[in-house]
Amino acid sequence: MSQPHWGWLVAIYLFLGGMGAGCFLVAAAVEWTGERYKHAFCPTTLVGATVPGPLIALGTVLLIFDLGAGKMEPWRIFYMFTHFRSAMTWGIWILTLFIPLCFLYGLVELMHVYPGILAWARRWLAFLPEDLPYRRIKRILCPVGSVFAVGTAVYTGVLLSVVRAIPFWNTPVLPFLFLVSALSTGMGLNIDLSGTIAVGPMERRFRNLPLYHMVFIGGEALLIGLLLLLAFLRGGAAAQSAQMIVTGPTGLVFWVVVVLFGLLIPFLFHAYAYGARQHSLAGGILSGAGIVIAGLFLRYLIVASGIPVAL
Amino acid sequence: MTRWNSAPPPGLSEARLSRRAFLKGTLAGGLVLAGSGFLSWLEALAKVQAEYAMVIDATKCVGCRACELACQQRNHLAQGKSYIRILPKGTPEKRWFLPVQCQHCQKPPCAEVCPTRATYTHETGVVLVNPKTCVGCKYCALACPYNARIFDEKTGLMEKCWLCLDYVLGGGEPACVHACVLGARLFGRRDDPASPVGELIASGKAKPLHPEFGTRPGILYYILPEEA
Repeated sequence: MSQPHWGWLVAIYLFLGGMGAGCFLVAAAVEWTGERYKHAFCPTTLVGATVPGPLIALGTVLLIFDLGAGKMEPWRIFYMFTHFRSAMTWGIWILTLFIPLCFLYGLVELMHVYPGILAWARRWLAFLPEDLPYRRIKRILCPVGSVFAVGTAVYTGVLLSVVRAIPFWNTPVLPFLFLVSALSTGMGLNIDLSGTIAVGPMERRFRNLPLYHMVFIGGEALLIGLLLLLAFLRGGAAAQSAQMIVTGPTGLVFWVVVVLFGLLIPFLFHAYAYGARQHSLAGGILSGAGIVIAGLFLRYLIVASGIPVAL
Repeated sequence: MTRWNSAPPPGLSEARLSRRAFLKGTLAGGLVLAGSGFLSWLEALAKVQAEYAMVIDATKCVGCRACELACQQRNHLAQGKSYIRILPKGTPEKRWFLPVQCQHCQKPPCAEVCPTRATYTHETGVVLVNPKTCVGCKYCALACPYNARIFDEKTGLMEKCWLCLDYVLGGGEPACVHACVLGARLFGRRDDPASPVGELIASGKAKPLHPEFGTRPGILYYILPEEA
């Protein structure tokens, strides 16, 4: 019997937190390397800067809906900042600091891309300067935000991996898997999906991009394999959980949604895009959507198949 | 084996005596009696701060679920809900039962993960949930290896065995101990070697459930070695 306490809401939160953090990291990397300034319009940084704030905030709202008394009496949530031995308190602090940074980065990027926003704001707020040093602001925002982004992505794994009573979760593989999956879903969203839709194949812009993405997809596949292998070797409840994922009632979801559409097809697609130096619009959308949906289902399967130790 | 069902629990009778002694003392104005009143007050204080222990004798349990029902009624729980679960163990030919509830661990994993510090250890060693600060995140229920917590959907609070601390501090015993027909549940002070609980602990027969969890439970079990 798997744990009955956490379900879809927590899985969606883990997914949105991870993908938001991954988006931020990809955008920050494109900004920091100066790749963003080689093109008239860069959808990767625009999406990667504006989307994480709303995504992670939405995930946090879902998390509040999963609470019991904290949902009915929201002021109780302030108690959640107080216990520094609890992984959940670490997460609350990371999110509290990271979400404003995400919104700030999104605002700065939007103002940078659309100068009309500042001119419009100056009609009411006359003290605002005519121009802001956007690039210098982002030069500070990106590295600072990236630290919190890594923290958010790793934390979603740590939250589960500190639970000793559920052996399948209680492994250091999980934080690494969630970090790599966060980067992969981030790239899936703001390069494969939005990039392809906005300006066509991105691979013509960044030549080695498919190679980087292949590293993340391959790494994710290896870590999923390692998680399952270690669980089978450990035996007991951990092996039962792994068995449930691989051959249980949701086994088909794992093999089709996660392995086929989330790992295998995107990996082959990126290998083709790297070799041929081009790809189709449909290919980019299929790969991006597959990676993003697989990221959600992977988290749900891990949460739902947490079987507690037998007494 | 001593049971407290026939006579009033020792704590209660002492409290009545000491109150009477205290009244007599003040009426007579005798310093000696007043001094003994002060001493018995000190003794009562020490009792409150003592660590309590429960030993469950699985060799006696027949799985009648009287403790489960007593717990449900005493805590006004909904039908089918109880802080106690009776796990059937062994084979159908040789069945034995393992009653499981909050183990009142000295190193409680539930308290470690609780983000609001709503789960805490009372000065008696009993692990409690503060209903005023619990947010109902259910993290503690996942962290408890004994699966001893139940979530109340109506109040949104996490609940569990609180060892009937109101009865215990009044000198009584938890409802499940009182309800056990076969005397499979023993309750008393951990540091009192004269009590049946202290005897079982001193003889080394009472052992914690799954010590490998590293939680150092306050509830101990007497399980036959061939079954454990």
